[in-house]
Amino acid sequence: AVLCISGGLPKPTNITFLSINMRNILQWSPPEGLQGAEVTYTVQYFIYGQKKWLNKSECRNINRTCCDLSVETSDYEHQYYAKVRAIWETNCSKWAETGRFYPFLETQIGPPGIALTTDEKSISIVLMAPEKWKRNPEDSSLSMQQIYSNLKYNVSVYNTKSNRTWSQCVTNHTLVLGWLEPDTLYCVHVVSFVPGPPRLAQPSEKHCVRTLKDQTSALKV
Amino acid sequence: GLRRCLISMDIHHIEEAFQEIKKTIQAKDTFQNVTILSTSETLHSIKPLDVCCMTKNLLAFYVDKVFKDHRELNPQILRKISSIANSFLYMQKALQQCQEQMQCHCRDEATNATRIIHDNYDQLEVRAAAIKSLGELDIFLAWIDKNNQGTSA
Amino acid sequence: DGVAVLPAPQNLSVQSTNMKHLLMWSPVIVPGEIIYYFVEYQGEYESLYMSHIWIPSSWCSPTECPECDITDDITATVPYKLRVRATLGSQTSAWSTLPHPFNRNSTTLTPPVMEVTKDGFHLVIKLEDLGPQFEFLVAYWRREPGAKEHVQVVRSRGIPVHLETMEPGAAYCVKVRTFVKVIGRHSPSSQAECVKVQGETLPL
Repeated sequence: AVLCISGGLPKPTNITFLSINMRNILQWSPPEGLQGAEVTYTVQYFIYGQKKWLNKSECRNINRTCCDLSVETSDYEHQYYAKVRAIWETNCSKWAETGRFYPFLETQIGPPGIALTTDEKSISIVLMAPEKWKRNPEDSSLSMQQIYSNLKYNVSVYNTKSNRTWSQCVTNHTLVLGWLEPDTLYCVHVVSFVPGPPRLAQPSEKHCVRTLKDQTSALKV
Repeated sequence: GLRRCLISMDIHHIEEAFQEIKKTIQAKDTFQNVTILSTSETLHSIKPLDVCCMTKNLLAFYVDKVFKDHRELNPQILRKISSIANSFLYMQKALQQCQEQMQCHCRDEATNATRIIHDNYDQLEVRAAAIKSLGELDIFLAWIDKNNQGTSA
Repeated sequence: DGVAVLPAPQNLSVQSTNMKHLLMWSPVIVPGEIIYYFVEYQGEYESLYMSHIWIPSSWCSPTECPECDITDDITATVPYKLRVRATLGSQTSAWSTLPHPFNRNSTTLTPPVMEVTKDGFHLVIKLEDLGPQFEFLVAYWRREPGAKEHVQVVRSRGIPVHLETMEPGAAYCVKVRTFVKVIGRHSPSSQAECVKVQGETLPL
């Protein structure tokens, strides 16, 4: 452990978990007045109900102001604390600590993957459920739907010609919008949500697609 | 099962009420190394068959013990705790009415788990135990919500 | 110490519509003076388990108006006692208590306001935002003899929701009622509204 004068520095500020699909990143701001100084940070975490604070070796004396604790907080049914302190030369701050972090209730649900295909009068929308964060790309995937069985999608459709928008709440992953206007640009965006306590949501990007020209009218000419 | 019983419950409104006081309440709980509800032998190990009895026991735990033992001076927090307490009272009544048509008997597993929770509570000084239990309401509500849809993670 | 010389507010009553609850009373009049009122409530839990403590209402401790929106205080489907008193400087009236405890399951539910439109062949409905406790049971059918009625539960509030893809030349009708889960009651149905889709030949 680094020997330093504790309390010689102000604490890091704004310490929070940023959690999306169970990827749990601890982030903070430099201590007041030390932006730009050669400050390093050390992180520890605590599993609520356990006995002691644990070190995160990859986040000892680091320069950056974030630390990925996804592995350490991967049991999403438990609760956690994390803390960070600043070190500069021989001085170090007291610990700055998070509130109790409960991944199951607090993680943001990322947007689904969206694939659109179109013909003259319809658009087929295929949604791919957001995936839970995984340690290694080759690990087997776990869909957020398997964690939240009441996961739903709010599909918003914007008709650029009529300037009208309407939405649909769906639980399955395929949706066909029929009887659309030919040769018209439609924009779709989708938000995943889980009924329950308020939770930040990650809207999808807007996906726009144009329905094909009406072949029958083309033949009449 | 429980789902039909608790169908008229507005768990989400209770969760929202708790969200508004969670930070303040949990910050008052200084014993991070102790938990009342979420030891491995309690809520996490409850089988679907025991969910109704466990819900009934935990509602009683909060209504008869936790809310009474907690002394709250801040009016905003007092209002939220009152909202949750009265909602739990309503849930108890709904569960009682529902019990005639539904099996809600208690097996040893649920009885033991309930006793562990009470033992955990009694090991702490009463005010500390009450504030810790209040701070763990999100665990209980998430457990009800999950069992209300019959999910398994 | 303020002796109770002010008259206590009279004629307390609660007007509750669509889960919005308004406590009202007759004003206390002292010419040329502003009277402030304090409202408190006591849920069944406080009566049974907390030695009948009273809790200051969220929005009316104090208020100048002879009414109080108690919606944010009445948040469980149990009986609530309510009381009001008037103050003028250090003068304080006695408490006046609502004659009968109020339970939100007695609220009046009205047919919701809806806007039925179409975007091409798409039947779209927009419903008023009555708050998170309301679900909307939307019934719609094709206007022809023997047509089957479809019902869709809509929880989106205040935004256009897609109901059905309509067939060319057909007319569709819609009516809606609300359902409030926490009190287990429905509103009456709204009047039916119908829209007609312009005709077009079906694709080959």
